[in-house]
Amino acid sequence: MSLLTALRDTYSGFKSLLTGLRITAREASKPSITVQYPHETLKMPERFRGHVKLVLDPVTGKSRCTSCNLCVRACPSDCITVEGIKREGEKKKSVSEYTLDFTTCSLCGSCVEACPSDAIEYSKDYNVVSLHREDFSRMDLVKKLEAEAKVWAEKNPEAAAAAAAASAAAMAAAAAAPAKPAVAPAPASAATPTPTSTPAAAANPVAPVRSPEPKTT
Amino acid sequence: MSFLQIEPVRILLYLVGICAFVGANAAYLVLAERKGAGRIQRRPGPNEAGFGGILQPVADGIKLLAKQVMVPPGTDALLFRAAPLMVMAPPLMCLAMIPFSDSIVARHLNVGLLFVFSFGSINVMALMLGGWASRNKFAIISSARVVSQNVAYEIPMLLVVITLLMVTGTMDLNEIIHQQGGGIWHWNLFKVWVNPLMPVTFVIFFICMLAETNRAPFDMAEAESELVAGAFTEYGGMGFGVFFMAEYANIVVGCSLATVLFLGGWQSPIGVLSGGLWGAGWFLLKLYGLIFTVIWIRWTFPRTQFYSLLNLSWKILIPISLFTLLLTGAMMKLPVVYHQFF
Amino acid sequence: MNPIPFADYLVLALFALIVGTTIGGALIAALSTRIIRGVSGLMMCCVGLGGLYYFLNSPFLALMEILIYVGAVCVTIVFGVMLSEPDEPPHQESRRHAALWGGGALLVCLAIAFGVAHLGLSGPWTEPATRVNDGSVEAIGLALLTTYSLPFELISIVLLVAILGALVIARSGRTKE
Repeated sequence: MSLLTALRDTYSGFKSLLTGLRITAREASKPSITVQYPHETLKMPERFRGHVKLVLDPVTGKSRCTSCNLCVRACPSDCITVEGIKREGEKKKSVSEYTLDFTTCSLCGSCVEACPSDAIEYSKDYNVVSLHREDFSRMDLVKKLEAEAKVWAEKNPEAAAAAAAASAAAMAAAAAAPAKPAVAPAPASAATPTPTSTPAAAANPVAPVRSPEPKTT
Repeated sequence: MSFLQIEPVRILLYLVGICAFVGANAAYLVLAERKGAGRIQRRPGPNEAGFGGILQPVADGIKLLAKQVMVPPGTDALLFRAAPLMVMAPPLMCLAMIPFSDSIVARHLNVGLLFVFSFGSINVMALMLGGWASRNKFAIISSARVVSQNVAYEIPMLLVVITLLMVTGTMDLNEIIHQQGGGIWHWNLFKVWVNPLMPVTFVIFFICMLAETNRAPFDMAEAESELVAGAFTEYGGMGFGVFFMAEYANIVVGCSLATVLFLGGWQSPIGVLSGGLWGAGWFLLKLYGLIFTVIWIRWTFPRTQFYSLLNLSWKILIPISLFTLLLTGAMMKLPVVYHQFF
Repeated sequence: MNPIPFADYLVLALFALIVGTTIGGALIAALSTRIIRGVSGLMMCCVGLGGLYYFLNSPFLALMEILIYVGAVCVTIVFGVMLSEPDEPPHQESRRHAALWGGGALLVCLAIAFGVAHLGLSGPWTEPATRVNDGSVEAIGLALLTTYSLPFELISIVLLVAILGALVIARSGRTKE
């Protein structure tokens, strides 16, 4: 009796081993499902929360940020500093310096919620890596936006050209009409309108002036 | 008489050939193993070095060669250095006996089977000495496991081989192959009229071979999740590499022995085309078929517990192999007895 | 059989290697203070003995020597070593009259060696060391079951006693009394 049981156990055990082999053979015949990481990457899902970044407006090719400082106030860990300037021919202030201290950022997202003009969002960067601490403690988001804008301009040149033309027209209008509350470097910055629509924040070494706000509309 | 036919020169040439064969096999079986593991786990495996990873073994080899061979303080330095040599020598010796085809055999010996087993048994000793000389508790635990595992599995393996010897009546490996000529149904695996349990015998032999070579699911000796790397925990560089190569060389020996004993060696399965290079081709085909089965098994089954490992041997394999031994003897001798009395 | 240059020297060198392995192994086994090295020496010695048997035209015996003495006996000894104390015993003070005892042992050893050598050299060797039979399984089986059946059976009795002894020891260890 127990001999029979032992034999049956042995037989069923052996059969289960063969079943296992069949399963692995079947799996081996299917195509591989892994992503070859350095060569190909996964698209991050919509809700992925990377570090904060400035949104590139697909119409103007620039940031929508008006440097209203609401995000700075919303930030619980004081890791955002924003500087803005008033450009010729534009209604609102535009951002000239947006620095994120990523070493203290906790990715809470309060800044994104607080932003009235949807100018910041979570980036999809997940392999942020650097050899220098400063790259994280003083993360220059404007620079990142410029790089992004360059790529964007190369990808859809018509939109970029349209945006450049629009901004040039606005600047020309501004330069033509009221030159009374003259801000000193305004003509200089208008004189070199780069056609590739690079947001001329860091390209033109404009001192981050904040106090003189000439209301020209 | 050609220079190549002088016996010492011939043996020397064969030894060089065998070393090259073992080296290439060890290197590329590692790749095959990793690729196979990848396929089963639905990933491509190593594919960066060279075209599709074909140069990966070369890269690994260079890395291992470039590393310093450290002898940690407190070890038995002499034995520590000697163990890799001792672990590599037996499979090389054994392969000298394996007939790759009717004429391609390094040394023909009429007790070739015994030769393979006697030198195969030294392998245990080498692993154990390596583990002991390391003065590392993981290595010593692993050594103890290697010994009890090998002692336990040597018994059913030898019983199975004795069963087979009763059928063949010779220990000459080439003669055993000659007896299996003339088609797939003449292979010892399918000789069910001699012993209806012949396929079971083959399975037992294969399981024992896995256990003797410390392959998964019986790789208690290098259970990396509990024993770091088992007997070769303290080895680095090429010392480790040699242990690693020896494992694959042992697999090659074990699989070629299984091929010779049960699958007709260089005999073709259709009965024709088994001479010369064709024979070598058939032999390698069967050999690599078995090796891929070994790899397949490794990546299918999880590691067994040590007690269930010993239970499998002592409570299942040994009784069954004893039974097949008795059955074969009875089936061979009963007709003789019958004819004598009736 | 092939006309090889220096064939005799080659064979001689091989013989010297085998004898050297045997004697060297024996010396290591006898002189080493670490028990694991002693076992390794024993193993070397057994492999060398196997080589000697091979030289005497009996490959079967040679392989059996290796299979049994290296593959089984030495492994068992090492297994025993593993179950014993891992550390070497502390070096003991040499006993009094150690030199006297050693000299006596040496004398006895020399006497035995001389006697054996004398017997070996002067005794009648009827058969030159050629192959008696073809060494096949059949011949070995016939020899074991006809001419040498008594030693064969005696060996089986020895093994039976050993197994019984092992069982007794294992049993007594298992009961909790």
